[in-house]
Amino acid sequence: MSMQKQQQQPQTTGHVWDGDLQEYNNPLPNWWLIGFYLTVIFAIGYWFLYPAWPIAGTYTKGFATIRYTNDKGVTKTVHWNSRALLMEETNAAVAKQKPYYDKIGSMTPEQIAKDPDLNSFVISAGKSLFSDNCAACHQQGGVGKMGFAPNLTDDDWLYGGHFDQIQQTITLGRHGYMPPFRGVLNDQQMTELADYVLSFTKVPVNPESAKAGDALFHSETAACYYCHGANAKGRTVIGSANLTDNIWLWANVPAAKTVADKEDAIKHVITNGLHKGVMPTWGGRLSADQIKLLTVYVHDLGGGQ
Amino acid sequence: MTATEMGSNEQYNFEVVKKFAFMTIIWGLLGMSIGVYIASELAWPFMNMDIPYITFGRLRPAHTSSVIFGFGGSALFATSYYIVQRTCQARLVSDFLASFTFWGWQAAIIMGDISYMLGHTQSREYAEMEWPIDILIEIVWVSYLAVFVGTIMRRKQPHIYVANWFFMSFILATALLHTFNNLAIPVSLFHMKSYSLFSGTQDAMTQWWYGHNAVGFFLTAAFLGMMYYFVPKQAGRPIYSYRLSIVHFWALSFLYMWVGAHHLHWTALPDWTSTLAATFSIMLLLPSWGGMINGIMTLSGAWDKLRTDPVMRFMIVALSFYGMATFEGPLMALKDVNALSHYTDWTVGHVHSGALGWVAMISFGSLYHMIPRLWGTKLWSEKLVGVHFWLATIGVLMYITAMWISGITQGLMWRAFDQFGNLQYSFVESVAAMHPLYEMRAFGGMFFLSGMILMAINVMMTIRQGSTESAKATAAKLSMVNA
Repeated sequence: MSMQKQQQQPQTTGHVWDGDLQEYNNPLPNWWLIGFYLTVIFAIGYWFLYPAWPIAGTYTKGFATIRYTNDKGVTKTVHWNSRALLMEETNAAVAKQKPYYDKIGSMTPEQIAKDPDLNSFVISAGKSLFSDNCAACHQQGGVGKMGFAPNLTDDDWLYGGHFDQIQQTITLGRHGYMPPFRGVLNDQQMTELADYVLSFTKVPVNPESAKAGDALFHSETAACYYCHGANAKGRTVIGSANLTDNIWLWANVPAAKTVADKEDAIKHVITNGLHKGVMPTWGGRLSADQIKLLTVYVHDLGGGQ
Repeated sequence: MTATEMGSNEQYNFEVVKKFAFMTIIWGLLGMSIGVYIASELAWPFMNMDIPYITFGRLRPAHTSSVIFGFGGSALFATSYYIVQRTCQARLVSDFLASFTFWGWQAAIIMGDISYMLGHTQSREYAEMEWPIDILIEIVWVSYLAVFVGTIMRRKQPHIYVANWFFMSFILATALLHTFNNLAIPVSLFHMKSYSLFSGTQDAMTQWWYGHNAVGFFLTAAFLGMMYYFVPKQAGRPIYSYRLSIVHFWALSFLYMWVGAHHLHWTALPDWTSTLAATFSIMLLLPSWGGMINGIMTLSGAWDKLRTDPVMRFMIVALSFYGMATFEGPLMALKDVNALSHYTDWTVGHVHSGALGWVAMISFGSLYHMIPRLWGTKLWSEKLVGVHFWLATIGVLMYITAMWISGITQGLMWRAFDQFGNLQYSFVESVAAMHPLYEMRAFGGMFFLSGMILMAINVMMTIRQGSTESAKATAAKLSMVNA
């Protein structure tokens, strides 16, 4: 190249296109050629080490090996392959967590929650499991979402906040149901019921209407007390909501500005009933120990009883 | 001057070149606007507006088709028809077929974009168009091949100019890729939906054989063809090395076909396929750089022009981005790097350093050279070209910097384990971490788009100026005849 530079005019190929297009015939730059050869050598080295060329129904396996233990506990040394690599890495990851899970397997959730040695592990694994499986509905950190999934960080529990209740909820899932009252109650009756429910909070409703709602709530016409209880505090056995605590999941009362809007939000639920409060079953998808760990994690989010 | 221009207009079919050049600008505006919009949707999701037709999932293929096939494709049709005629000193073999490639190609992309928004897709990246549109493209493409090869066979020069090798390789490879990747059985004759002829891993392998060679032959080889004509023309210097152009042309054409499987590392693909893809990607590095060396060394005798010629600046920056992207590509094709980079924004950044930095920049440079010559005038404003250059350069740099940071952050967050071997971050935490970078990316896109808008104004004014001048010249001629 340096020789070329010293020459006054490098040689062109002698072809001319479109008036002035010409080509020099400079040799290939040395660094380019050597660089290319180096990549070829790298490739050939790689082919010697790893599975590379298909030949008649099989392929060259390469000289690199990998040692792994299969699911029957047999340790083998085979040619390098990504399946064995996955097995090896999975085994290492499982082995690392085995002492903790062994301990969890032999303890009750109450004991786990009190064990200071397990505390950090529960927070670490719980966050990971919760983020992957629960956060899509209950949101990151378990704060829930209005009209969709309940808040898990407060002390209001539809199906109970004791360890065994949480564990049962996760294992078997839940399906909340409230019948629609369209056609059963008229508009005035629904307003009265809404006012009765709102009277537990500080919302200034018509006291006469709320009183009528109270009567209706406990009557056989509306029969709300069957599920929500005579004190309207709900029953965790069937997952009926506590209506007295100003915590809302389906009727977005907090977002409604006026009293009429708040009434409408509640009347909408009474009119249409509820059938979308579904939590899927996690038993079978997560191991019993993972569910136990998640139980402790959810219990410790803030509201466990 | 005017007489020779008119003479060359008769000698060559520049009508179709003008049409494609014009549509390059239109598709550039449209495709890049959609790009900025969907980048904004990712940064500010309310922009989905709960309208299904404009959600990210449907607009994304409209963006890629509009910029790759609309903008890039029209630029390639325009420049390849321009170059093949001028370097063969022959008129296009058939005006009818050439015109058909124009209308057919535009129709295919418009129909593609509309069908995506209505929810029709083959779910094959960069090949989302459903079967009726694929058949139209097939016919258009065969016509393109016939026009191009037919014109080369009419050449008055014994030697075929290097740019034309690259265009031929691109047209042949694209025909092959488009045909095999779109082998599908329609649900019925009057239904848009179809199912691929392949299943499982084979299907994925076919798609990425297509996908990467679309990058290799459509976005690389073809634009090298463009480079091989416009860089020496603009610099007024001969190509640096004929020998290098031959060697890197064949090395590139041979090696590219093997590397598609690097898009499928660590999947159900057999390990040997992954190895071959990774190693051929590494061997592709220097052949890719051959084009960059030839381009830069051609410019090297004319460095002083960089100070005065904004068109040249576009070309040198395009070559630099090309060199950088083709270095980054083989790196990302290595299995261990890929384990970090795959499924992250790093890939998105890589594609855009190629697409904005190389493809768009070399097209801008070439169009600024070609358009005044097509309409027989000078550029309306050289100054505006300079502003476009800076807007585009700042835009690309913002875009790819944002995506590098975001991609590597994603890769690191997704595989961060804590001391107990549990994942340290949830997916949604990584999404939250991306937010400022997505905003930065959207702003980068806005810079690039505003450059494109300036170009559109400049080109429209240049065309108007050209038309007025030629009308005046004709009037002058007529008055002379009358006198």
